[in-house]
Amino acid sequence: MSFKYYDELKKRLGREPTPVEIEAFIVMWSEHCGYSHTKKYIKMLPKAENAIQGNAGVLPIDDKWAVAFKIESHNHPSAVEPYNGAATGVGGIIRDILAMGARPHASLDSLHMGDVTEGIIRGISDYGNSIGVPTVGGELRISEFYKHNPLVNAMAVGIVERDKVIPSKASYPGQVIVLFGGATGRDGIHGASFASEDLEGEKATKLSIQVGDPFMEKQLIEAFLKMKEEGLIEGAQDLGAGGVLSATSELASAGDLGAVVYLDRVPLREPDMEPWEILISESQERMAVLTSPEKAERIMEIARYYLLETAVLGEIIQEPVYRAMYKDEVVMEVPVSVITNPPLEDVYPYTPGEIPEFKHIPFKEVEPSNVYFQYDYMVGTDTVLPPGFGPAIMRIKGSEYGYSVVTHSRGDLGYQDAYWGTYIATLEAVRKTFAVGGEPLGITDCINYGDPDEDPEGLSAMMHGLKDACEFAGVPVVSGNASLYNTTGGKPIPPTMVIGLVGRVKLAEVVKPHEGDVYAIGWDRFSPAYERILWDVIRKLHSCGCFIMAPSHMNSLEGYKNSLAEYGYALNVTDLPDVNPVHSTVLAVCENNYCIDEISKTIPVHRVGAVVKV
Amino acid sequence: MNPKAAVVVYPGTNCDRDTYYALELAGFTPEYVDWHGDVKGYDLVVLPGGFSYGDYLRAGAVAAREPVSKSVRAYAEKGGLVLGICNGFQVLMEMGLLPGGLLENTSGTFICKWVDLEITDTDNPFLSRFKQGEKIKLPIAHAFGRYVKVGDPKVALRYVEDVNGSDEKIAGILSEDKNIFGLMPHPERAMEKLLGWDYGKNVFLSILDWIRGGNRVV
Repeated sequence: MSFKYYDELKKRLGREPTPVEIEAFIVMWSEHCGYSHTKKYIKMLPKAENAIQGNAGVLPIDDKWAVAFKIESHNHPSAVEPYNGAATGVGGIIRDILAMGARPHASLDSLHMGDVTEGIIRGISDYGNSIGVPTVGGELRISEFYKHNPLVNAMAVGIVERDKVIPSKASYPGQVIVLFGGATGRDGIHGASFASEDLEGEKATKLSIQVGDPFMEKQLIEAFLKMKEEGLIEGAQDLGAGGVLSATSELASAGDLGAVVYLDRVPLREPDMEPWEILISESQERMAVLTSPEKAERIMEIARYYLLETAVLGEIIQEPVYRAMYKDEVVMEVPVSVITNPPLEDVYPYTPGEIPEFKHIPFKEVEPSNVYFQYDYMVGTDTVLPPGFGPAIMRIKGSEYGYSVVTHSRGDLGYQDAYWGTYIATLEAVRKTFAVGGEPLGITDCINYGDPDEDPEGLSAMMHGLKDACEFAGVPVVSGNASLYNTTGGKPIPPTMVIGLVGRVKLAEVVKPHEGDVYAIGWDRFSPAYERILWDVIRKLHSCGCFIMAPSHMNSLEGYKNSLAEYGYALNVTDLPDVNPVHSTVLAVCENNYCIDEISKTIPVHRVGAVVKV
Repeated sequence: MNPKAAVVVYPGTNCDRDTYYALELAGFTPEYVDWHGDVKGYDLVVLPGGFSYGDYLRAGAVAAREPVSKSVRAYAEKGGLVLGICNGFQVLMEMGLLPGGLLENTSGTFICKWVDLEITDTDNPFLSRFKQGEKIKLPIAHAFGRYVKVGDPKVALRYVEDVNGSDEKIAGILSEDKNIFGLMPHPERAMEKLLGWDYGKNVFLSILDWIRGGNRVV
């Protein structure tokens, strides 16, 4: 198997790597685990001072509660096996949130594909519905661009008491690592490395695909939260890409400590597995927690109550090495820091140009409610504004605050200009957040890109676009994920940055859909300066009780029409401004024109129709 | 003292917390009873929605054979009030406590949306706060909700329009003695106007009225 960083590994180890080490480092130094092409760019992004970093970004909502959120790609598996690829994408991101100690509270999906792939929709629907986490939003973009490389990005939001966030690191030697969840099989071996190459590469087989079991995931969620409630968990990491190796080495490394794991203790689904296969299997629905030796038994008792497999997998040691044992034999022993510090590619210089004259590249129109009606978007009884209006609004029971959440991207613009495509997508997500009364809190970004070795400039453009847009909007990036090598036969997807944006919402100020005149407010061109004025206007209109919609495209409002019909309203609009493909315009539904008169002094306003009761 | 309600939790149940919250809002004192447990002594037993045992084999089939389900049967046979919502309805049907079957929606997909419903029976412990023929809205969220009739069930709730292919648009039925009510829509999701409509509240308040009226059976 080819390994790009073989020489680097040899240099760092000071010897020839063993066959097991090569397997291990192909995974750990893959883009998917190691972020070798993106880490230096990620460092440039604006951070939140009050964020708690770990498996996901965590930001406070009020005195008691915080939200944990993250987006992640599952593009490569979904290309080969749409159903399981998409399902396990949902499962994986849910566990990231869970590992922070948060109860998974909402999930969203950003999907790009060549045609509506039922397997992907079904995979998300079957998995998400079963685990009892509402799927409250997302986007579905259909274009030939994504025919061979569909993008499946899943985002999850969890809620956690601010003082009960679980660290993603080891804290003292002698701490034990307890594994629980589903049994381990051969599924997903080299999933991470497969996700880091062209789809016609050597690892693109169904054997690399993880298989999801939502029932197990639901049990895992409840078991984990029960352990947390009893104060048993001192640190946690879910097992995703890179399996046991990734989860346990990251825990040790984050605490500047080492770890020993005993692979023969891992409960197996396939008893004849080789030690190295156990080490890097990406079997789903597994979690590793750190605890004291006295508390380990209670953890395992809870796992068994929830019908899960469990074992004491290993322990934390002072010496900063990672040692994997199998039946008293050392399978692998390397310094922890070598595993968790992959070689990093340099930042490619980039200077943005002027905003280009974007051409309108229409994506195929699909009615989003056909998809989101297949998702349980209400379980949990916290969905205040349902899917279909841009961001969804979720409440937190017992708090006067909730949050808005949206995923948004502009691959159509990214195709023409990676920098401005990313920049505009980011600002549009901010606009959509203001439109529902949200105060932008933080972003989780999913970088979907082609081959950074072939075209390093495009990736650099995206990352600079994200950085500049976040700085302009004053919104920090708290978590994210990168999916590179979205190419087939060398042909890349358009640079597609998916923005997940969480805003804080005062529940007493939520505006629900209502009757009134509809006004188009803003400019038929996009500019950051216009955008700034528009945001102020949106906030003003929202405080006047106007219901505001912020579609990126004005040519079809079918989605909004269907969502309003759910509330018993019809959207009758004519003379919509010709503002494609980019603009700084929103539609506001206002019951009286008092506020409209006032804002019309600062911004163009046109009445375009009305929302009426059916 | 508030009446006590048992919220039965099977592995994979996922509306247990929502149901607990709704019962509290309505004025019950809810308690969770897990699959090893016993529901004896409660004023009301609720089997909430979700995917008990992942719906593997057949929705509700495995749950119906758990120890707690035996205690639910004993409770129901003594006339105790049992409310089965969505997967809970499927479990009651698998237990044979309600007649008929629940098959896959004609669309072949999961459907989650608010639907219009008509109350067709108010002379029972669950729906007395409604008027006969009253039109209400509740959410549905299921893939296997197509009710197939066996015999002549006591229909308490019908969809106004066909949503999943159910025989005679049946959405909820009562047992012969009217102490068991199974329905596919989720009243526990319709407790507060903040989330849409609050028609579900009257289901729980009807039960409360009935219990407070001295109608306690068990």
